[in-house]
Amino acid sequence: MKIFKFFISKIFLRKAILGIGMILLLFMANYITNTAARSILSTFQGYQETKYINQKGVYIANLDPNSHIDMDVINENGTQVVYDYLNNSFHYAFYTDGFIVSVPNTDDMKVSLGYMNEEYYELNQFELSQGTDLDFNYQLDEKIPVLIGKGLSKTYPIGSTIIIEESALGRPVTLKVQGVLKQNAYHSNYYALNSKTYYNFLILFPVNEGFINNANIDLQLNGLMDVIILETTQKEIADLREFIENNLGLKFNFFSQKENYEYFNEYYLHSLKIIAITAFVLIIIIACLSIWNALVSVRLMLKDFTINLLVGLSYSRLRKIFYSYFGILSFVNLIVIFAITACDRYGCWLRKDATFATYGLFCLIGMDWFALSVVALLDILIEIVIVESMLWRIKKVPISLGVLQ
Amino acid sequence: MRKSLFRIVDVLELCTAYIFCFFLNVLLDYAKTLDLDSYILKAFVKNFIDYQPLIVLLFTFIVIVFHYQMLHRKKAEIFCKILVGDTVFHIIIRYALDCIMILAFAYILSVLANVYLNFNLTSSLYLVPILITYILISARQVRKYENF
Repeated sequence: MKIFKFFISKIFLRKAILGIGMILLLFMANYITNTAARSILSTFQGYQETKYINQKGVYIANLDPNSHIDMDVINENGTQVVYDYLNNSFHYAFYTDGFIVSVPNTDDMKVSLGYMNEEYYELNQFELSQGTDLDFNYQLDEKIPVLIGKGLSKTYPIGSTIIIEESALGRPVTLKVQGVLKQNAYHSNYYALNSKTYYNFLILFPVNEGFINNANIDLQLNGLMDVIILETTQKEIADLREFIENNLGLKFNFFSQKENYEYFNEYYLHSLKIIAITAFVLIIIIACLSIWNALVSVRLMLKDFTINLLVGLSYSRLRKIFYSYFGILSFVNLIVIFAITACDRYGCWLRKDATFATYGLFCLIGMDWFALSVVALLDILIEIVIVESMLWRIKKVPISLGVLQ
Repeated sequence: MRKSLFRIVDVLELCTAYIFCFFLNVLLDYAKTLDLDSYILKAFVKNFIDYQPLIVLLFTFIVIVFHYQMLHRKKAEIFCKILVGDTVFHIIIRYALDCIMILAFAYILSVLANVYLNFNLTSSLYLVPILITYILISARQVRKYENF
């Protein structure tokens, strides 16, 4: 420890610019790795989540990008006819969210409503931390059982009621808290799998046929945009597409499991490969710069190292000192990356951005810890390469020659 | 270059450091122009484009490291030059001019890259005063080695 302190205070800190240079280079490598690891993991999480809809006979609705929404043509009768057709001929999973309501809560967050039907609820298998499963057979004039996110559970424990003034029914409704979702429950965007909406400040509202029939056009139309048709055939889907076009003037695409997989392989896998390759190339470049910086350090500190070797310091001891020194530099970087991630997450709480607010130690979630682990692993690898190249360079110079420098 | 502190290896090293800084800027400019149809790639690239000046500025630290180690290594040479009749003033001027020439060469290369890619020619200009500041600061350090 004494010799390590000596090396730090009398050798490394006397040429602090080289140490700062190394910290900055490692920081860049860490930032790239952290970003790439988070992007890749987030996309795979999204892919895992959508696996339940990538089954045979399941088709996901998607408004054709070239189809223009003409609100003069679309009316409640049109959407109602489509829903009647859906109810009579298909099994479908209905989900739509993003309806902001003012529900007082201790964190003063804006609460959004997510409407889903029984089929969607069964497909998703929501994990609850408290309470019981939802009941979809309720009457509209009764208290409607709902699931809430963890953030709302402090203000609204199980069994409490929430009154919502502005609902999709166009009148106030009373909700009863039936269960609390597991913390950081999320929903990935089907068309941007790395983008997530967190359910910590969401009220999951069960909808049944009666509710949809009485709901306003906004809910009906939004629900139709991402509707998932279950246990159906290509022929029935073609009929549905035609039916929607005739009644609403909207052209919908319905993608099957095979098309979704092809889309994934073509679009996501390709993007992930590019991210991985870009990150790898950048890290290699930074690793080369780090080695250059390390060799420069050797060049300038050679005299100090060789004097110590001359008076009895062994190469293995020197190696340990180098590993400890670079370990400290990596640790400093890891702390910085951790702080940046924590600030990023905490910023959502400060901005009252309910859809991205997360719970965890310093607001960090599993994905962030995974990325930090990858960063730590990369630091260890870079550290090994740098230390071994430094020792290789020192060993190449005879001690007597080094001392004379 | 006869009386210069620079050897071919030093010139190459500094030139590579400058080119790296300028081309990193060009690379990030290029990333901005990419018409990415993938949302994931856009989100990934945005993480770097948003902090472009900061990232480039952090990488210019390798130039600081170069100047620092270069002058440290040339301690004895500077002292010897003074011993045989050279002046600190002339050594500083020669050192600064050499660095500026290498900087000009690297900048011209980056301008050519900008012309080739149809980018704004002034996009890398902000790096020039920063790198000149490094040269001036390091040139002042030469005075430190007047007495060996």
